[in-house]
Amino acid sequence: MTDTNTIPQHALERLKGLRSEGHSGGIFTSDFSVNEFLLVRKAGFEPVGLCVGTCIYHLGVQYGRWSKNQEMDVLSQAMYEARELAMTRMREEAKSMGADGIVGVDLTVKRLEWDSDVLEFMAIGTGVVHAKGHGGFKGPKGQPFTSDLSGQDFWTLLQAGYRPLEMVMGSCVYHVAHQGMFKTLGNAGNNVELINFSQALYDAREIAMERMQHEAIEAEAEGVVGVDLHEGSHNWQPHIIEFFAVGTAVVPISKELDASTIPDPQLVLSVNN
Amino acid sequence: MSWFDRFKSPRDNRHDPALSGSDGRTQHDAGLSDAERLVQWEEALQKKQLPPFVKDRLTAAATGKTPWLATMTPVELLTARSHGMQPIALVSGTCWYHYGFSWTKGHAAGWQTAIKRMQMEAAAAGANAIVDVRMRKISMEFEASMDFTVIGTAVRVKDLPPSPNPIVATVDALEFVRLLEADIVPAGIAIGAHYEWLNSWNRSLAGQASWYNQPLTQLGHFWESVRRRAMQDLRNSARSMGNGILAHTHFGQLVEAGDERNRSYLGRHIVVGTVVDCKSMDSFHHAIRPVVDMCDGESPLLNAAPNGHNVYATNEEEGSI
Repeated sequence: MTDTNTIPQHALERLKGLRSEGHSGGIFTSDFSVNEFLLVRKAGFEPVGLCVGTCIYHLGVQYGRWSKNQEMDVLSQAMYEARELAMTRMREEAKSMGADGIVGVDLTVKRLEWDSDVLEFMAIGTGVVHAKGHGGFKGPKGQPFTSDLSGQDFWTLLQAGYRPLEMVMGSCVYHVAHQGMFKTLGNAGNNVELINFSQALYDAREIAMERMQHEAIEAEAEGVVGVDLHEGSHNWQPHIIEFFAVGTAVVPISKELDASTIPDPQLVLSVNN
Repeated sequence: MSWFDRFKSPRDNRHDPALSGSDGRTQHDAGLSDAERLVQWEEALQKKQLPPFVKDRLTAAATGKTPWLATMTPVELLTARSHGMQPIALVSGTCWYHYGFSWTKGHAAGWQTAIKRMQMEAAAAGANAIVDVRMRKISMEFEASMDFTVIGTAVRVKDLPPSPNPIVATVDALEFVRLLEADIVPAGIAIGAHYEWLNSWNRSLAGQASWYNQPLTQLGHFWESVRRRAMQDLRNSARSMGNGILAHTHFGQLVEAGDERNRSYLGRHIVVGTVVDCKSMDSFHHAIRPVVDMCDGESPLLNAAPNGHNVYATNEEEGSI
């Protein structure tokens, strides 16, 4: 990372209009709280504007074979593509504002009441720029970085010697087999593991995790923080479930930063109340 | 070609060195078809091993070939780094268990199998501890069965020796190092479970129907003994791991069955706790500084951390007996 200013002059001119400092005409928008705003500024960044991307997506039809554990490719692809579209649109907006990245991204999926096959995906976050125009904080391929970390977490991450690259995710919609389980058991009064079900959940979770990791590899990340791996069922048949993994891919700011230079956290007692 | 298509046909991008292991297979998906994966899962679960493609993923993470994955927040990452703890991979264990003769014992067995499987994954990732372990279940339950899932972040701790049975800690990285600094090792998860039937002959519990205020001694004693036996079971389960238990999850149910003339009661109780091993009874030697918390919303300073499981939540609503 170098200190050379890589933002073109015309972009800087436009950014000046967006930032408040010393330019009474420029107004930034963000969903930051006061504390978040202070810590983002402390980290050396300024908000430029709220970036939003939405996608209303119609899910194709796919039926799982009654007695088969299988991934629902059509649904997996839909859930992935719709989120990706929402994220890309948000990133495009950030790019047009000249943002270095987006922090505090909130990625939501909403059911639309009139049609169970239609889902609304929304990504929203605050576009930020480095206050001194440092060009080294961009994400992969010179795109704005994206991160679901809050302003507080963003500051802490930089303190820890890492910068965010990209929100990475993996999705797998899976059909868990119906089976005459209890016929094969012979005796429903036994306490036994149902391996077929165990393996379905394992497989689905593993696929979601592998896909997220694959995105992290493509982003050339060193690691992924704040990974959340959860399950959801978006109004589907009872045996269909989505495993979704999401986290922020990070890379060290400087390879030489030694762990001993990181400040030790202190134990504190809150006196807010 | 979209990202998804590339992912579904990993054989097509084998030429990409970033995605290929030393043997030329892709790191992700291992180039297996869905059916091949399922066969490997089944075999692995029956032989109590890991499927080869999972082993590959964990080995790649252990050697730093692929990015590490961590449930840690940036604060936890900062602490982990300054205390010589390296995150490696997300590890999990799942067991879908059918409880035939006993719900209670079924739950205990389900958790224990899941924990063992998670430890196996962590050992394959070269980890000596698993932090931030969560006990989870999905929303599906079929007949008398459900899934028991544990998931956590496998880490390598500099000061701890490597082990085939990595430490299982239900606390996050921040609390983990705080405990280590006080010479306390969070060693594992202990589970105590007990159930018993109480049969009432000749309406011996008839006091319930009377007009007077009175304690129902027989039922009371029965319920107390069920819970004590569960606690005893918890202590036995912890004995091999450490000398103390923290952070209990209690779940108990008293169920009535039978008819007016011949009532029976089922009492069942489950206790889950984190086992700690206190090397010495040294007191805690950190200075504590009063601060104003700048966190918004749910702050860990102002609110208790979530208990890390979503399984016995209903019991909390009744005041966690």
